[in-house]
Amino acid sequence: MLRNALARGKLRHLLSCPIVRNSTRSSSTAKPLDAGTQKEVGHHENYASEWWNQNGTMGALHALNEIRVPFIRDGIVSRGNVKPGYVNTTKVLLGQSILEVGCGGGLLTEHLARLGARVTGIDLGEKLIEVAREHLKCSSPELASNVVYKMEPVDQHAKANCECYDAVIVSEVLEHVNDKVSLLEASVRSLKPGGSIFITTLNKTIPSWFGGVLLSEYVLNLVPRGTHHWDKMISPLDVQRILDTMNCQTVLVNGSTYDFWSNTWRWINNNQMCYALQAVKQAQREYN
Amino acid sequence: MLGVLRIQGALATAGHARLLSARLLASKSTTDMTTNRGESTQSAATEHFDIIIGGGGLVGTTLAAALAKNSTLADKKVLLLEGAPEFRGFNPTGPYQNRVSAINHNSIELFKSIDAWTHIESARYKPHDNFASDVACIIENDLILDAVYARVKEAPNVEILNKARIQCVRLPRDSNSNLSELQLQDGRSFSCDLLIGADGANSVVRKEMNVDVFSLNYDRMGLVATLELGEDACDNSVAWQRFLPNGPVALLPLTDRLSSLVWSTTNEQAKMLQALPPTEFVDALNEAFCRQYPRVELADKAVQALNSLFGHNGSQHQVQYPPRVCGVLDKSRATFPLGFLHASSYVCNGAALVGDAAHRVHPLAGQGVNLGFSDVRFLVESLAAGAYAGFKLGDKQHLIKYERKCLAKNVPIMLGVHGLHTLYATQFSPVVLLRSLGLQLTQNLPPVKNLFMRGAMGQ
Repeated sequence: MLRNALARGKLRHLLSCPIVRNSTRSSSTAKPLDAGTQKEVGHHENYASEWWNQNGTMGALHALNEIRVPFIRDGIVSRGNVKPGYVNTTKVLLGQSILEVGCGGGLLTEHLARLGARVTGIDLGEKLIEVAREHLKCSSPELASNVVYKMEPVDQHAKANCECYDAVIVSEVLEHVNDKVSLLEASVRSLKPGGSIFITTLNKTIPSWFGGVLLSEYVLNLVPRGTHHWDKMISPLDVQRILDTMNCQTVLVNGSTYDFWSNTWRWINNNQMCYALQAVKQAQREYN
Repeated sequence: MLGVLRIQGALATAGHARLLSARLLASKSTTDMTTNRGESTQSAATEHFDIIIGGGGLVGTTLAAALAKNSTLADKKVLLLEGAPEFRGFNPTGPYQNRVSAINHNSIELFKSIDAWTHIESARYKPHDNFASDVACIIENDLILDAVYARVKEAPNVEILNKARIQCVRLPRDSNSNLSELQLQDGRSFSCDLLIGADGANSVVRKEMNVDVFSLNYDRMGLVATLELGEDACDNSVAWQRFLPNGPVALLPLTDRLSSLVWSTTNEQAKMLQALPPTEFVDALNEAFCRQYPRVELADKAVQALNSLFGHNGSQHQVQYPPRVCGVLDKSRATFPLGFLHASSYVCNGAALVGDAAHRVHPLAGQGVNLGFSDVRFLVESLAAGAYAGFKLGDKQHLIKYERKCLAKNVPIMLGVHGLHTLYATQFSPVVLLRSLGLQLTQNLPPVKNLFMRGAMGQ
């Protein structure tokens, strides 16, 4: 076991050297994206200017903050890592360091920073990162010291920032990714033992396809067409199974749904539509 | 056409003259300007607050106290702007004031939650058990203000600025620009994340928010006064209201021998009553409470029939009369216009409305200020939840929740009060018939009666 760990550490060290050199030279020389990912990133970049418009196509994403921020906040508080004096104040996440994978225009990032957390937002879309930086500079300059945006893939980020975050967030991202296992693997790698990974996404069910794709993209035009695809959606059980193999224990799965007529999200007692999931990274066990 | 042109010409010359005089004045004052530059740049600097409340009336001051009391919002800097000079305070041994409010259960809960209730209780108030004991009470407005003002004064995060009249307001039009700015008439300017309009029915903040306003002028005035009662008042624990053809007249008990009057009537009659010598005014009032108006016979018969259906006979329903009024306190008579007003929206990015700035009702059910206090509760709850979820205070996304809660509560009550006003403002026989039957039915069906009572008590 010990030898194994040492070997792995050495291997990682060896691997990390050329990559670090690579990334310092230029970000464009990093591993090129595959076609599917390129397409997804391009799709989201098309709406870069719409990102912060509450009344536009991102309205539902703005409204989602009403439930996902409390989910993450209370999830972190429930692990006992927050000073009791901070609970119920607006600095509840002070001292927490958070990675947001696929931060887009930074809708969620700024909210978490406003609660005191140090947040790193990474995304593959150059335009999206630009929008996020611009909004931070113009509209929320008071958060500038708490937020860092980087355009880089999560596996690259995880290599440089191994086990250094108290929480990692993968919100409304998993349904756009082909290789979910490697994304989750890298996310978990950047997480401290005892830290939590928070995931929100659509379930893979008939009702969620009907509501999330057919109704919202083709009938009501709430979301741009081609945002969601059946084959990329994933059920909470599958997410849980993947996380189990990475030594992460799922502690909470909450179902949620969206009421388009009032632009509000609410928790429901089944996860047929959308869900939010929290898993906690266990400390490495000494026995095998 | 020619006339218009000529007027325009006249305006233009007047404009020129004004401009010229302004220039002359400016050149004269340049020397002053240079000496005062240091000071003027200082005053031109915009001071930032998290929340600015425009209007330090009952609702605005209570809001400031409630914000200061909330633990989640404790680190927010709040500024309370009030046009009037500093509040003089309240003298609990002085004569009773003519402006009073019927405070319901919900509002009392609010005062308890901000530790203002003991202050009110220890001064003077009379629980009025028209419906049930200790549910609603009549409190002088200045006493309420005194209680909440004391809480605001001791709050470390709230500043009060008196004699501060808002000149102009600028709100963030889109979600990208993020601050609300305002300038006072004396030139000082402030910026904030959230500007709250608690500045009454002619709200400056509401005008800038560009919301549609639905308003009706009732062409009625409310006459208030403090009255002395005769010996037959007993413990004077019942509030009286009678619907007269011109509008309702109400007696609200203050002490065993004093009551407050709210008399809604036509503008002319209100002015006339205000000007009458005290003895004639008292006579007019007593007559108003006792006078028999021509009745609609059909309605009377229908009510009798309905009563017999429920097994009551006429003798069980004895007509009760209010205590006899024997005097009116000196200088206690005052009038104010009545109207109905409702803003189509209470919030936008960077601003929110509370109290009369958002809604105004007829005083006949004593709901106006209670609706304002319920706004305060909803707004503080919503702001705390929003701030704890990382929202900016002025973000419409979470402010809309406050609006939804308020609309659900305010609109039915306002429609009800407006409906009552309209219902009693008519002598049209079918309407009179229906309202008589409706009232009698309500009286005879306890569940319906309880429903109305709970609504009025704010439960």
